[in-house]
Amino acid sequence: MKKTALFLCLSFFFFSVFAYAEDKKEDFYKPVYEKPLKTSSLKDPVSRVLAFPFELIKWPLDKALVFMEKKRLDRKAIWLYEKSVEYGVTPRVDSLNFNGIPSYGADFDFVRIFRQKEMYPDLIAKGWINHGPAVYFQTGAEFGKQRIADTGFHVSEFFQYENRRNETFYGIGPYSSRGDSASYIIERTTLATRAGYEFSPTLDLTSQFGYDHVNIKNRSHGGKGNITEVFARDNIPGLYGDDLLSYSLSLKRDTRDSKSSATQGSYQKLIFKYTDGVQSSKAQYFTYQVDAAKYFQLASPRRVLAARLFAEHNQTINRGDMPFYNMAKLGGSGTFPYVSQTSRGYVYDRFYGQSTVLLNLEYRYTIWQYREFQLDTVFFVDEGQVFGNLGKFNFSHFRESYGMGFNLNYSKLVLLSFDVAHGDEGTQFYIENKIPF
Amino acid sequence: MKKITTATLLMVFAVGTIFLGMTPAVFAKENTAQFEKEWTAFYKDIFDQNFYSEGINQLDLGRWWRKIFRKKIPSANINVFDEVPDSNFFTNRHARARLSAEALEKGYHEEEGADLSQPLTVIAAEQQGIHYGFIVEDAKKDRYFLKFDSQGHLELNTGAEVIASRFYYALGYNVPQYNILFFKPDQIKVSEDAITYDNTGFVKKLTQQILEKYLLAIPQLPGGTYRASASKLFKAQEAGDVSFWSRKKEDPQEVVHHRDRRDFRGLRVFSAWLNNENIRESNALYMKTNENGQVAFKPYLFGFATALGAAMGGDKPPMLGYEYLADYGEAFKSFLALGFREKPWQKKWREASEKNSPLSSVGYFSSEHFDPARYKTLLPYEAFRLVTSADGFWAAKNVMAFSDEDIRTMVKAGQYSDSAAADSVTQTLIERRDKIGRYWFLQANPLDGFAFSDGKLSFKDLAIDYKFIPKEGTIYHVEVVSSGKKPRRIAELKISEPILSIQPEWFQNDKDINLIIRVARPSAKELGFSVSISLNTVGIQGIRHQD
Repeated sequence: MKKTALFLCLSFFFFSVFAYAEDKKEDFYKPVYEKPLKTSSLKDPVSRVLAFPFELIKWPLDKALVFMEKKRLDRKAIWLYEKSVEYGVTPRVDSLNFNGIPSYGADFDFVRIFRQKEMYPDLIAKGWINHGPAVYFQTGAEFGKQRIADTGFHVSEFFQYENRRNETFYGIGPYSSRGDSASYIIERTTLATRAGYEFSPTLDLTSQFGYDHVNIKNRSHGGKGNITEVFARDNIPGLYGDDLLSYSLSLKRDTRDSKSSATQGSYQKLIFKYTDGVQSSKAQYFTYQVDAAKYFQLASPRRVLAARLFAEHNQTINRGDMPFYNMAKLGGSGTFPYVSQTSRGYVYDRFYGQSTVLLNLEYRYTIWQYREFQLDTVFFVDEGQVFGNLGKFNFSHFRESYGMGFNLNYSKLVLLSFDVAHGDEGTQFYIENKIPF
Repeated sequence: MKKITTATLLMVFAVGTIFLGMTPAVFAKENTAQFEKEWTAFYKDIFDQNFYSEGINQLDLGRWWRKIFRKKIPSANINVFDEVPDSNFFTNRHARARLSAEALEKGYHEEEGADLSQPLTVIAAEQQGIHYGFIVEDAKKDRYFLKFDSQGHLELNTGAEVIASRFYYALGYNVPQYNILFFKPDQIKVSEDAITYDNTGFVKKLTQQILEKYLLAIPQLPGGTYRASASKLFKAQEAGDVSFWSRKKEDPQEVVHHRDRRDFRGLRVFSAWLNNENIRESNALYMKTNENGQVAFKPYLFGFATALGAAMGGDKPPMLGYEYLADYGEAFKSFLALGFREKPWQKKWREASEKNSPLSSVGYFSSEHFDPARYKTLLPYEAFRLVTSADGFWAAKNVMAFSDEDIRTMVKAGQYSDSAAADSVTQTLIERRDKIGRYWFLQANPLDGFAFSDGKLSFKDLAIDYKFIPKEGTIYHVEVVSSGKKPRRIAELKISEPILSIQPEWFQNDKDINLIIRVARPSAKELGFSVSISLNTVGIQGIRHQD
């Protein structure tokens, strides 16, 4: 009994001490603060004032983004685009032009439109229409067969009408002056028959017999003069248009991993063409053209050196003419819808010549990646010159431009490209949705 | 002509937008806010954080001042003991009082899971590429949001979601109930008025045929069973977005801006541990609850399907966790280096031979090259950038509270069919936990567990206790100063054991004293950060780790 009482007493004492110790233990999580909690300002008044105008922009943008996502507008747009392509209509928005308005258009695959793709998988029945406000309008069609009797042979008929409303001309040859600027409208209708053989998906040989009807309208436009007035003392061939027949042979090899933004592989394009003026046209000349590019990965796909060579020589024969509008041209970014070759420190169509040599060298490296998105920095040098006969080629006539830019790609598809280039005639800026090569 | 063309384009765009936007507000039903939010609001988050805030921050003069003079903003919701008291946002759980193994494995739960005594009824479904989400109602009329793995990655997203939810809950955050749910094709049917957003983005009536088409694209376990992560949808009323920047003005209880809350800042450390770089405002939602007759706004975190080694569509892309979605700083460094700088994630990816774990349910989740200091969430929230040493220490202390066995227990909730996957995830979490502890305990002052009794102040050196640093050679420099506006140095001493005799004469006129303790490690040239203990004869009155 005594033992039990002693045990109980000891137990009581033990647990009392334990309980006391527990009571004394500080609750470190209790909501006791040095000072009462208060709402302090997140920013000082000056910073708030500075940010205020931007808040006004943020609010509607936030609302628009939430609306877009809530209504699944992005997915609807993608679905509509994919559906449109599936049904044979591919909408396109091309490079932003000088006016800041994108040129737009659509490609039509009539085989798909008429739901005959499964029945005639090799049939070519295409059309296109493109419009760059105040710059150009183009429409055309091609009908033929991609593979004849399951061989690589292909044949097609080609038609295209093109109206370029704002072409510029600064004279012919390497010494032309930018001060002598003139503009003209060129309207070109082309009919052609094409036949060729595709040796492999990367190698193709195509011949073409074509007819071009070219109308030139000379006039002052956009602060530029009329060619017939500005160059009144020069003998500019083709000033009033021509009717041209041409025969050409082109060999193309393309092993690039992406046509939009290649990181490896190469392409080569060789063209030989004979052009003969008909009716009153005096045009008669041969065209030899080489366009080749190679993409070198520098120990990583994130570093690419892209080199491109473009050379063209037009040789008049039988005292024929070489129309100025068909001459080799240099200037601008060299991307569709502009047709002059890449020489970014100079304005579009800056140099016209019977011959040209152009070397483009670009170092592209990735500075940011997020999933399939990629931002590349580009440093580039463009070296080119136009000249007349081959004997007039002179190393001192090269015009160089250099610059840098950024390309935003998604899955090797260029979404946006920004370039700034400098040449001896000033600095040019380009914002486009494609890169020249 | 140009003006007409532009006007036409704008008109076409406007009409198109209105046409495309013309879908009924079918999701304006109850209990779908979480579902709806998880599928939307990402673009706004990206714009706000990655573009707008990044730009507007440059106009914040205070920010520049802090940057130039290396000033910090201490957390404002900490109590006198440098802890975060319980609130609607955060409840100290495992670090305060160890949860049982059962509680850790179960996480937050209201039910055992969806009631499968009758087929689940699909009310709404969403298809986004290869991702599917269903809202289902069970026999008890409870609604669940089901998410699935993508083909070839069975258990990856579902496992990650459930496991991460267990950790966030045990740490102290509010999360919905998450469970792994297994069901057979005959245990799911379509409600009569069910709708779906499919890949077209247009809303449609959900038919049995469409559901079957969806189910065909969802991976199945052997035997035809489906596996989903099921989160129980809130019954409470949805009460708006949770900002990671400012407080909710409608809530009088919420005084401190979220940017200055330690529990918000700590999310950076916790999310680094769980590799949940996708922690963002659009994965958080206020719910209006009524507790004890009082209205409370409780912020909930959800959307953990891309934690651990998972991402939408499969394995986590290698850059995630290392860079913000648009990381200007990293891009600029690469720009300057002309492409010859290998980023940490690129190095890790190269060393991994550009391959993910051979275990498809684990994805890309490892501790190699994991740097807690440099971990980045997808979006650059200012609260995460403002994490101070004291905040980091607090968070790391919470992380280190999970033992190896605790982690193993919580990973069990992912119900991996292959034990190797569970082992791999567990091991990686253990290693990442230790890296977090090692970094923050050496970065901050790691003294904790202060107790004052019998005239002695004892404490724990967590860096030593967790064996991140050997005890030998560690000296604690103690400075005793009087309290008040003009503190006076009373004594200075060095001790090698984490226990200090408090001399009665230090308490002159019964005033409080402050003990400022710094740790000198044999490997370090300088004294580390300080911790200040406010003490009187009654006991400890305050603790403050240096920010």
